[in-house]
This record gives sequence, structure tokens and C-alpha cells, in this order.
Amino acid sequence: MTFHRLRVAAACVAASAALLAAPANAQSASEIELARRLDQLAAELASVKAELARMQRERASATAAAAAAAASAPAAVAASPAVVASPVVASESQAQGSGIALGPSTVLTSYGEIHYNRPTHDSSKAVADLTRFVLGLQHRFDEKTKLVTELEVEHAVSSSSDPGEVEIEQAFIERQLARQWALRAGLFLIPAGLLNENHEPTAFYGVERNFVETAIIPSTWREGGLQVVGNFDNGVTTQLGVTTGFDLMKWDAMSTEGRDSPLGAIHQELALAKARDLSVFGALNWRGVPGLLVGGSVFTGGATHGQAATSSRVTLWDVHTRYTPGRWDLSALYSRGTISNTAAFNTPLVGSTSLVPASFDGWYAQAAYRLWSRGDLSLAPFIRWEEFNTARSFASLGTGLTPDAAPTERVVTIGANFNVGPGIVFKADYQRFRVNGDADRFNLGMGWSF
Amino acid sequence: MREQERRGSSRRLRQAFVASMACGAMALASCGGGGTAASDAAPPEERVLSAQAALGEKIFADASLSASGRQSCASCHDAAFAHSPANALAVQLGGANGDLQGRRKAPGIRYLATNPAFFFDGEGTPTGGFFWDGRAANFAEQAAEPFLNPFEMANPDKASVVAKLAAAPYAADFRRVFGERIFDDVEGAYLAMSLAIQQYEREDVEFNAYSSRYDAFLRGQATLTDQELRGLALFNAPGKGNCAACHPSARGSDGAPPLFTDFTYDNLGVPRNPEIARNADPAYFDLGLCERADLAQRSDLCGAFKVPSLRNVALRQALFHNGRFKTLKDALTFYVQRDTNPEKWYPLAGDGSVQKFDDLPPELRGNVNTSEAPYNRGPGEQPALSGAEIDDVIAFLRTLSDGYAP
Repeated sequence: MTFHRLRVAAACVAASAALLAAPANAQSASEIELARRLDQLAAELASVKAELARMQRERASATAAAAAAAASAPAAVAASPAVVASPVVASESQAQGSGIALGPSTVLTSYGEIHYNRPTHDSSKAVADLTRFVLGLQHRFDEKTKLVTELEVEHAVSSSSDPGEVEIEQAFIERQLARQWALRAGLFLIPAGLLNENHEPTAFYGVERNFVETAIIPSTWREGGLQVVGNFDNGVTTQLGVTTGFDLMKWDAMSTEGRDSPLGAIHQELALAKARDLSVFGALNWRGVPGLLVGGSVFTGGATHGQAATSSRVTLWDVHTRYTPGRWDLSALYSRGTISNTAAFNTPLVGSTSLVPASFDGWYAQAAYRLWSRGDLSLAPFIRWEEFNTARSFASLGTGLTPDAAPTERVVTIGANFNVGPGIVFKADYQRFRVNGDADRFNLGMGWSF
Repeated sequence: MREQERRGSSRRLRQAFVASMACGAMALASCGGGGTAASDAAPPEERVLSAQAALGEKIFADASLSASGRQSCASCHDAAFAHSPANALAVQLGGANGDLQGRRKAPGIRYLATNPAFFFDGEGTPTGGFFWDGRAANFAEQAAEPFLNPFEMANPDKASVVAKLAAAPYAADFRRVFGERIFDDVEGAYLAMSLAIQQYEREDVEFNAYSSRYDAFLRGQATLTDQELRGLALFNAPGKGNCAACHPSARGSDGAPPLFTDFTYDNLGVPRNPEIARNADPAYFDLGLCERADLAQRSDLCGAFKVPSLRNVALRQALFHNGRFKTLKDALTFYVQRDTNPEKWYPLAGDGSVQKFDDLPPELRGNVNTSEAPYNRGPGEQPALSGAEIDDVIAFLRTLSDGYAP
């Protein structure tokens, strides 16, 4: 919208200059006066053109991955940590500062996905699911301040007797403090890995999110607290914050939930979250070279809130990279989590279905290639190799009582994303599991995001 | 005027009763169901009872309130045995002459502060309530019954109980707490008595002491021996004892200590106990839940009895609703060998076949739980626990007795 207005303004200025210039020759005004007015108009035209060019550069920069992906990897059009991590869109505030109108102050967004999973060895377990439907409401109070919220319904129907859930996924205020610094307060996504802040279906390959960024990094992972975001001209983005954390007392040793995702079993999602122990996090990402992202994050905090005989601390860190040269979209990530003092916590739970692991980790490497495109359509096959272990080790409880470490699962996913423009995606893939072969499956999916 | 006062007094008591129940319900709702206590507060050092509770304590121990003059609440709920019977009788003796057998084993009455009133949960599982069949909604309703039960304290009616109350040494205290004219209103006085007992059971720390060695262990103030830890692991392990499935041993998500019961019901097929004289009649069966008038149509619940807390279980000298077993060794061996060696527990028919689940009519024996460990086995298979493993579990269960001093 802003670009369009600028183009119109430029055209108007040019046309006016031409009109003014033409009568200037026919009328009797002095040549000096005409020349002065022409110079003035030419200067204004140059200024508008420069503003337009600057706006285009900033738009391109702000949506670096999106723009790059549109050219090289359409499946990742919406995917770039740069988009989420960027403080209140600088170009907009600057545009307003230049007297150029902003868009509407309240914006409705949405994303959603529908999945079909069919185990290859047991088709009786095939399921179709409206996995999530999300409505986002953003409101800009002024050029420096905005509210970001997301309301999510999972599994289509939510009631006491249905499987669905209704969740607030994000609800934070962001205030631009300076050109490079912004402050967020409220419920926000933790900047861990590549996916957590960019979890829309158009932002990742495959019907399901990768296992490492669900089993190890508990996406979609959010906490309540404060965060500062710094975006620097050298391509560095840094995020630092103080938030709520995990609650180890939620660990249900009689269920297998903790085996599926140790931190997913004990995250609190700001739902009457225990908050005696706070956590801190930091994330650093660098985009100094076009198409390249290199980064890492760490999160650590107490998780027992004074309710256990001994205190335990949860720490999770990751390193990640993404490179999008030409038609390729390459990414890799490693993440590891630890929980301290688990021996004391686990001893009363000995023999139970799942004890608290001392460590858990996983990595994946993924390659996608934009094989075909026509107009706004494109097809990008991909392959992803993942290895992860949700119970890499347990603290010793003594002979016969210490659980064995879990076997490391390896999942290979092969499939393709078919994009219709930047906001719609259809997906198909096949997943093969090394340890839990019963889980091998075909997946189909569709999603949208705007 | 006096009649009006009596009615007013009675109404106030009923209002107090309803308010008390509502508060109890709210407290239960806020703790999110059974399984753990409402908090992990360490036992208070001072034992301070309210006037109502102090009155309840006296009533609880007053044998003069029974027809025989020899039986009080404390007779069957002896504090020295964690408020369970002090003897190994399957069922306690009561009645006007103290010579009639009760119907079911007197249960322990500790750690019931968060026991909800009876309800079916979202999956249809019967849960909560007091007595083996959950028919009483709270302490007060429970406490009101034995006074009039012909096999227990055997008073003919409420008026006779109130008359004994009025003659008790603490009658003046009773009037002071509930009003000078309280004894003029039989219903009101009887309700007041029940409330006083309820208040005693709620306030006296003995009923919720959390003073076992296992509690100290959970607080990091004691350790368990290797054998006790092995026993705990077997107790928890789904493929071994699987005891924790109904008797949770872990702290709740709010950090509250475990209660070793989920307040649900199970049908274990406990063998018929010949020690109970009624069982001599082959037509007589104690059907548990479905004997309740409101559940009479639920034949699928016949044979189900409430899951008791295992806190202080080592102090109980008779186990299960019919007191069939006298030792933990026998009870645990029954659990794991019921299906692998049924001939050890049930009589043989004329044709030599085992009359399994003989304490239920044949048409209801299908109700017995045979799907969960350790019952999900058959003759010839290895029991879920060996003899040595049972000893380990018993060693652990002994850590659940109140009164441990670090």
C-alpha cells in the first residue's frame, strides 16, 4: 500500500512538473522564475524517488528471507527469524515520520493447517485433523507501540469431552525504544531454534513440524516476561529476556508424555504458571551474508518453585543455521537440554513409567530444492534427517533402579511442499522411523498463513 | 416461642451444615481431585482444636452414646492403630449387647480430608464418598450412621442418642457451642453432634499427620533402605505390582504429598470370608456399590469397593472390605497369584473346578478386574511378584506408618 502511494506521488510530481514546464514556455513569466520552479519540482521528484528507493530497500531487507525465498525457495516465503525478531517495522515508523500514511492500525492475521496421517503398517490408526486454526490480532497504538496476539484452537472442537484446546499463543506489547532496540512485555515465543518463532505451516517443510523442534525444543514454546530485541546494521539480532519457566512438579511419572517431550510435559504456557523461579534466555542470530543465517540460543531457569526437597534447573540451548543460495534451502540444528538434581526428584518415582531424564538432545539436517515454478506456483521437494533422544541419560539411582537411557530415534522424512503464492501450501511426505518402526507413515497436509 | 426457637436453631444448624459442605466442596474443587493432599504443610507443632472440634473429640471417645454403653467411635477407629481397629477381627462386634458382627471391616479414617463426595468422573469411573460404598458425602454424614446402625452402636433412634448426649459430662459444652436449647431439638442436636465429629476429624492433626518416614523421605529428611527402595520401585512399576495405578505414591503437581488412593473403586474378587457369619448363607452376598439404592440398576458395579489409602496399612490387622486377609504378605500374594494360582484362594467345586471370585454370584463374576496388572495373567504363568519381591514391597509399605521421628 505504501509503495503504491509513493509511486502515485512520484507520478503526480513528474506530471505536475511537465505541466508546469509546458505552460512556462508559453506564458510570459520570467525564465528565471520558471527555472527556479522547475528546479524545485525536480528536487522534490528526486526526493520522492529516493524515498521510494529507500522504502523498497527496507522492505526488501525486512523481508529478506521472504523475498529471497520468493525467488529461490517459495516454500519458505513466510519463514525467516528476521521477520519475527525485527522490532516494530522500522520502515513504517520512518515512513510515518516522513509524512507517509501507515496502513490500518489494527490488523487481522491467520494461519492454520489440516493434516492427514496414515501409518503404513497399521492403517486403522489413520487420522485426519484440523491441527490448528489461529487468529492473530495486531494493533498499533502509535508508530512505536503495538500489541501482538494470537488465539489458537487445536483439533477443531474444544470442549470437556473433545480433544481440542483453546490457547493464547502470543499476547505481548512491543515498544520501539530506539532505532535498533525494542522491548517486549507479555506472553511471547521463546527465540529458540529455527521453528519456534516461525511455526506457520508455510514456514517449514513437511506436514508435521520436525521432531527435534517439538520433542527437544517444545514448540510452540512461549513464556511470560520481558524481552529486549536488538537489530543491528551488521546483520546481528540479539534477544535477551527474563520469563516464567518450567514446572517439574507437572511431571507425570505414570504417563509416557515425558518420554515424548521432556519439556513439553512440564511447560506452563502462562496458565496459572508457578513463578517463584524465573528463567533467563538469550539468542543471537547473524544475517550478515545474503541468504545465510547463523545463530544460537540458551534458556535456563529453576523448575521446582520451592515445592520439592531439592531444587532443579532446566537448561536448553541450540545452535542453528540456514542457507538459501539460489534454488536451495539448506538448514541444520542441534539442541540439548539438561535438568539438574534429577536423582533426588526421581527417587520417589522409581519403577514408574517415565522418570525425569538428566539430559536430552537431537539434531537434524534438511535440504530443499525449488524444482519447478510457474507464476505464483512452485514445487520444492525436500529431505530431512533427524536424530533425537528424549532421555539421553538418567542420574544414577543405584543398581537396578536407574532407568536405561532411551534409544536414539532416527527419522528420515522425504516429501515436497507445493506453494500457491506466499500464503498457501500443500504438503506430502513419508516418514521412516528407525526405532519405532510402527510409526512409519505417509502424511498429507495443507496450510495457510497471512 | 420455644418451638420457634427450636426451629430457628435447627434451621441455623442446617444452614451451617450446608455452608460447611459447600466450603468442603470448594476446597475439593480447588485441589483438583483426589490422589494427593491439599498442601505439603509440615505437621503443626501445637494441637489446637476449635470448641466444636474439641467437643467432637469427646463425642468420638464416648462409649455411653451406644446402646451397649461399651462402644464409641474410637472403639473401631483406635488412634493407636491410625484410627483403624485394634484387633484382627474381620468385622467388629457391636449391637445392643456387643455381640453382633458388623457388615464390613471398619476402615481407617485418616487422610480423608480431600476425599470428595461420590461422583462419576468424565470417564464414568465411580469416585469418592465415605464408607466402602461411598454412600456418605462427607465426614458428618458418615459419623451420623454408626450411632443408629443395629450392628454397631445400635441406638433405636436419634432421640435416644440426643438424650445420652444431654446426660454426658460435656453436655454443658455442647449447649455452649450449639445453643442453650439445642437438646430440645432432636434433629438439630443430632446434626450438631455429627458436625462436631466432622470438625474434630478435620482439625485434629492426627488425621492428616503426614508424619511417616516416607513423608520425611519426600521432604529430603530421611532415606529409604535398599530393600524399601526396591519395594517402592516394584510398587510403582506398571509391569510388576502396578499398585500406584490405584494407590498413587508421587507428589501431586502442586507439590502435595501423595494419599496412596485415587478415591476410586475396584472389583478385586476377594475370596469369601467364612469368618463373617452371614456368609454361611449361600444366598448372601455383599455386593458393594450396587447395594446402594441409587446404584441398584448398575449391576456392572456389583462387587466394587472403595480403594483405601495405604497410609498406615501396616497397622491394619485385617485387610479388604471383608477382612479376608490378616497380613500384608497374604494380601499381596493374593494380588499376584489370584489368577496364576486361583486354587490357592478359592474353593473347588464338585467337579474339581476352581470357584473363582466365590464372594460374588456367578452371574456377576465377570465384573471382576482381570485386565490390569498384576491380574492380567493366567494359570501356569509366573506371578507379577516373587516372594522376595513381595517382601520388598511390604518393607516399603511399612514406611507409610505415621509417627516417624527423624
